[in-house]
Amino acid sequence: MEQVLGLADGEPVVAIGVFGRPQVDPAVDVRAVAGGDGQAFARVYESYSRMVHAILLGRVPRRDVDDLVQDVFLTAYTRIRELREPKAFGGWIATIARNRATDYLRQTREQVELPDELPGGDSIEAETFAVLQEIRKLPDAYRDTLLMRLVEGMSGQEIADRTGLAPGSVRVNLHRGMKLLREKLGRPDAIHTGMTHE
Amino acid sequence: MSDDYLWDGSGPPDPEVERLERLLGRLRNTAPAPSFDELSRGAAGLKTRHEVSWTSARFIVPTLAAAAAIVAMIGVTWQTTRRTHSWEVERMAGRPRIGSTLVSNTGRLGVGETLTTDAASRARLDVSTIGQATVDTDSRVRLVDTREGHHQLALERGTLHAFIIAPPGQFVVETPSATATDLGCVYTLHVDEDGTGVLSVTAGWVAFEFNGRESFVPAGASSRTDPRVGPGTPRFDDAEPEIQAALDDLDYGTDAAKKAQDLQVVLEKARARDAMTLWHLIARVASADRGAVIDALAARVPMPAAVSRDAVMRLDKTALDQWWDALGLRDASWWRKWKGPLPQ
Repeated sequence: MEQVLGLADGEPVVAIGVFGRPQVDPAVDVRAVAGGDGQAFARVYESYSRMVHAILLGRVPRRDVDDLVQDVFLTAYTRIRELREPKAFGGWIATIARNRATDYLRQTREQVELPDELPGGDSIEAETFAVLQEIRKLPDAYRDTLLMRLVEGMSGQEIADRTGLAPGSVRVNLHRGMKLLREKLGRPDAIHTGMTHE
Repeated sequence: MSDDYLWDGSGPPDPEVERLERLLGRLRNTAPAPSFDELSRGAAGLKTRHEVSWTSARFIVPTLAAAAAIVAMIGVTWQTTRRTHSWEVERMAGRPRIGSTLVSNTGRLGVGETLTTDAASRARLDVSTIGQATVDTDSRVRLVDTREGHHQLALERGTLHAFIIAPPGQFVVETPSATATDLGCVYTLHVDEDGTGVLSVTAGWVAFEFNGRESFVPAGASSRTDPRVGPGTPRFDDAEPEIQAALDDLDYGTDAAKKAQDLQVVLEKARARDAMTLWHLIARVASADRGAVIDALAARVPMPAAVSRDAVMRLDKTALDQWWDALGLRDASWWRKWKGPLPQ
């Protein structure tokens, strides 16, 4: 996949990723956000909100995820000048999201114990939440990566670009996470999936 | 079956992945980006909330209510205090312990408490709000201090991986033979039972110090440490093995003749990239050998015009700083300005 860096005519250079999403050098936009550029913020949100959403969805009830995504970006915006290395933005905002989820769980544990997802009468919805619950039981690395791929529709390369993980690590996380998920869901092909990159 | 479809949607579709995409895609993030103006106002509100006057009448009733609530909260204050002075611990494998208490899933490591892992256990620490640290098997780590702007661990033995996003100097790890001060980075620190250890930096910088002896370790480089001497001379991990062995002997050997040979090996075989190592050696070799080290460094990275050989021979701080800047490594001036003189 083509790496995209720098500016052309004052605008971040853009290329098209394998899933058809525009890819922008995040460091350029992160610096611009720190300088108060609203358009750059919209691009940063577009680039990273799916990753943040996936991290939160793996940890907190769905009904609160959207609000927490907003919280995470507000926190990131207020603290963005503390970030000395714009290329580390992905790992940085991912940490903010994980910490925000931890804080949320602490607070809700101290308040009234609310039920988690309520599937209702829709059988597809019930199955969706059943699968989500199984993914939430996976180790962090597999859980986050699988949710970015299966829920948010990010490609493996996009996940690597956003999280700062090596593409090889993402591929292994996807493969092993999917293998564990198949086992949990009781799929017959759980043991016989291809292992092309281990 | 290949996992190309799982990777990026290419190749023959995996029916199970397709099914899960259809199911879980319903949960995809669809919220629009918040308005930047609202965000800016929200941020300003966060910053100035404490400046709002509470003396007007409309605040009196809520204030009295708040006072009553404060009284009611006294019973839980200890818990808040404990949170402020402790870090979240998450079990990753096996049975880590805080003191004598097993960490089943999560726990809290308070100031003065020790987290211990055995041969089968690992744990992750939230370093306040500034990052994370993973404690590997067979490790002992104690929380020395945690407060705004300063967070300190003591790694008594074992291995710790740190990922820190705070400004330089906020995260410090003591070991029996050196103290690692994070300058904004990702690194691994290992300590053996005898107090010797090694620091390997993946991203950013770490300053490694013991009794005034300092090493600045950049990404891709490592530094050994030993309680008898302190931090060894840093070297890039891809340096020639012969140079690395010679540096180890220079740092910790006792045979003067052998050390003289070692120095020659380093001076002759150092690459341009090893200028960082030669720069550290200027202050570490005997004054009789200093001229040769200066010449070797100058052959790889020319001495800046404003720097004189005499000044470097005297270990003049300004001169060494200027030459450091010419090495083309990332700026470490924050540490140098804060700590004063360069490695002795």
